[in-house]
Amino acid sequence: MLKVWGRKNSINVQKVMWCVGELGLEHERIDAGLEYGVINDASFRELNPNGLVPTIEDNGSIVWESHAIVRYLSAVYGSGSLWPENPMMRSLADRWMDWLYTYFFISHRVVFWGLIRTPEAERDMDAIKVQIEEGRNRLKVLNAQLEGKSFVAGESLTIGDIPMGCMTHRWFTMDIDRPSLPNVEAWLARLRERPAFVEHVSSIPLS
Amino acid sequence: MLKVWGRNNSGNVQKTMWCIGELGLEYERVDVGGPFGGLDTPEYKAMNPNSRVPTVEDDGNILWESHSVIRYLALKYGKGTLCPDDLGKRQLADRWMDWLHNGFNHHYRTLFFALVRDREKAEPDMEAMAALATECGADLPILDGHLANNEWVAGAEFTMGDIPIGCIVNRWYSLPIERASHPAIEAWLERVRARPAFREHVLLETG
Repeated sequence: MLKVWGRKNSINVQKVMWCVGELGLEHERIDAGLEYGVINDASFRELNPNGLVPTIEDNGSIVWESHAIVRYLSAVYGSGSLWPENPMMRSLADRWMDWLYTYFFISHRVVFWGLIRTPEAERDMDAIKVQIEEGRNRLKVLNAQLEGKSFVAGESLTIGDIPMGCMTHRWFTMDIDRPSLPNVEAWLARLRERPAFVEHVSSIPLS
Repeated sequence: MLKVWGRNNSGNVQKTMWCIGELGLEYERVDVGGPFGGLDTPEYKAMNPNSRVPTVEDDGNILWESHSVIRYLALKYGKGTLCPDDLGKRQLADRWMDWLHNGFNHHYRTLFFALVRDREKAEPDMEAMAALATECGADLPILDGHLANNEWVAGAEFTMGDIPIGCIVNRWYSLPIERASHPAIEAWLERVRARPAFREHVLLETG
């Protein structure tokens, strides 16, 4: 049975768990990271030398890096659904997994860590404001690309929705100024109707 | 024929061109970006709304995000070589493409801009750069430990997983900063630098 190491409030674990939920895979999740420890144990470092969650084991394969895990599980268990079979369709999905790292990751990280994981008196509000602005500008590109589409790669949910969906959900849950992005908001509303998203992502408070 | 938009000294274009060279694909490359401009025209933005390089056209399909382009090309034209057929083996390559995005690349990019690209605009604060270099280099022992037991990042064969990290770690070694020695990384870089496609597309002046 699939085994997933990682605390359920980690965004990278949430990406994987949402994917596991969409694919309907039986699994066992083991709390690890932050207050749960485990990640610095020698036995865990054998599995993942980075000492990070999530890490999974599937049929004897150890997989780490959340996007690589989502691609792996989808290719093995979701070919034709989460994992489009046509190379171009797959590329339309896959590009958003990298786009997240290239354009949105830093903004999200600075704002999330600043507002959710840093005591108010210690927050660097100037840096946070710069990244709120930067993130907002980047999301305009996503908004334009979602025009006429239900999901990032077209009419059905794919690997491309998973990391961006988790991160954009957080962005829209934080108490920050946001311009209206109707296509992004409509897409998020569709994601928030999915049982696997509710179970593994949106029902878990930001912490 | 494959068409690539992007100046040949961009790290992300080099990743793509090296991949194309390894696959032996015919291509036409068009200089855009940097001193060539051309990224803000309506025609270019219609292909790539991020106004960045590279953008690739293959059989009428438009691709962007360099790692996603590499995965597309490797799976379409290099299945069984650059892109391992077995999904358990494929993820061993794939994870290092995300690993680069997730950590090393962010610090590297700041260093590269300060020390190389924007050097004529502003003299870098070398103390801050040295601190950042230490932070950036902190990820490398993981890669070094891994390469101590593996000829290439995914094992005995060269794969797509070597491409992004090979380009960027090669650049890291050309930055004017002090670095810790990592013998296994340095031996792997020698193997990388011996590849004809790397010599042709990557060992150029950087910018």
